[in-house]
Amino acid sequence: MKYRPGSIARATVSIKMLLSRFAFIFLIVSAFAIMLLGKAETVVVERVRVAVIDVATPFLSALSKPLSTLSDGLNHIETFFGVYDDNMQLKDQNARLMKWQSIAQSLAAENSNFRKLLKFVPENGTLSMTARVVGDSGGVFVRSVLINGGRAHNIQKGDAVLNGDGLVGRVTEVGAQSARVLLVTDLNSRIPILTEKNRVRGILAGDNSPHPKLHFIMGKTVIHPGQKIVTSGHGGVFPAGLPVGRVASSKGGLLRVQIFANLDQLEYVRVITRYPGAVVDPVSPVKVNSARLK
Amino acid sequence: MINVAYQRIDRLVRLFIPFLFSVFLVLLTAIPIYLPGYGEIPINVGLIAVFYWAIYRPDLYPPIAAFFLGLWQDILMGGPIGLYSLILLLTNWLIVSQRTFFQGKSFVIIWCSFSMVSLATGTLSWIIVCGLNGAFISPFGVFFQALLTIGAFPFLVWLFGRVQHSVLRTVNV
Repeated sequence: MKYRPGSIARATVSIKMLLSRFAFIFLIVSAFAIMLLGKAETVVVERVRVAVIDVATPFLSALSKPLSTLSDGLNHIETFFGVYDDNMQLKDQNARLMKWQSIAQSLAAENSNFRKLLKFVPENGTLSMTARVVGDSGGVFVRSVLINGGRAHNIQKGDAVLNGDGLVGRVTEVGAQSARVLLVTDLNSRIPILTEKNRVRGILAGDNSPHPKLHFIMGKTVIHPGQKIVTSGHGGVFPAGLPVGRVASSKGGLLRVQIFANLDQLEYVRVITRYPGAVVDPVSPVKVNSARLK
Repeated sequence: MINVAYQRIDRLVRLFIPFLFSVFLVLLTAIPIYLPGYGEIPINVGLIAVFYWAIYRPDLYPPIAAFFLGLWQDILMGGPIGLYSLILLLTNWLIVSQRTFFQGKSFVIIWCSFSMVSLATGTLSWIIVCGLNGAFISPFGVFFQALLTIGAFPFLVWLFGRVQHSVLRTVNV
């Protein structure tokens, strides 16, 4: 048999090409498979996500510190120039609040009298913990943030997340030291709500726009712009009565809500880990005090 | 002997630099900068990285690297998992297959090509996400991200160029 130089080399090259093509097709198929598994919310995919985020969170936390400090500094400078106006406003507000305080005190006294009369058993108080937003990931298709609190701080899937102004979202993934919060504006966010005044039930449905839609209003009551929206607590996932936002517009029968919380500039959020009326998890009834993560 | 081992480790680390550097850049885009609106639309750094390395050093950025960078981006952003794995894999394949076209071309041509890739992948990802959610999502965000990424392209190319010249000069595969 005649030996032809280069034939082995040629064969090796073609095998290599075949292998690389096969690897490429395999990777494409894997990408599709992962997408479908992720869509079906498989436990394995969720575990992988949570594990990866747990690893990334300390880095994100460290990297976001300087930016957080910078933004605090800018806020300081900004507030410095508005001190006089703020002071006047606060004095005005203080006068109004003093009036309300006296009303609240008399109501509280009245309330405690009624409770005594009814032999009312007080429920457990609300427990919450404060966490810092370390990842403002989101991307184009999702509205979510990462926080630096997780199972170690008693945070569970489904917990409500607030900031000083109102509801921010709910916890969807929990790692040991990190969690992902799905914001109320996200496409997949559905929150049972009530209008505060006339107690009409509805669902707040996000659609990735800054103003989520208001759906399934029961009854024939007309909802006017400006009405305050609070969580209804239906479904037992959220505590009732958390402030959410105000009805902003009702163009063409479609109601949209202006959220109280500024979701663009979240820095610290409060996660409600237990509240009166919650279905208590019998496995982990550990009591923690409110804590703040650095 | 130790010297040889050291050289091998050094070379191995350098080989992984393009991938690790892009992983780091994607992490940076996830940091909250507390600016209104920015969190919603981060620059698509992964796409620029895969595009750049597919043109200049495809040997250092195989399809599997694009796949894992996409997965990392998906998990960090909380988006549909596997979406960017697919997008970046396709980008890698497209650019590597057209590599001869890019050789010796001016930066403007490369930038224009990237613009087309950015808009095309943006549209594809938008179609996939709409399909996965069974809902119409406003394409504004995707379009804006594509524009933002096109705008950031020259700076990131310069950055990758620096990395290529300073770290990979000595690495030949």
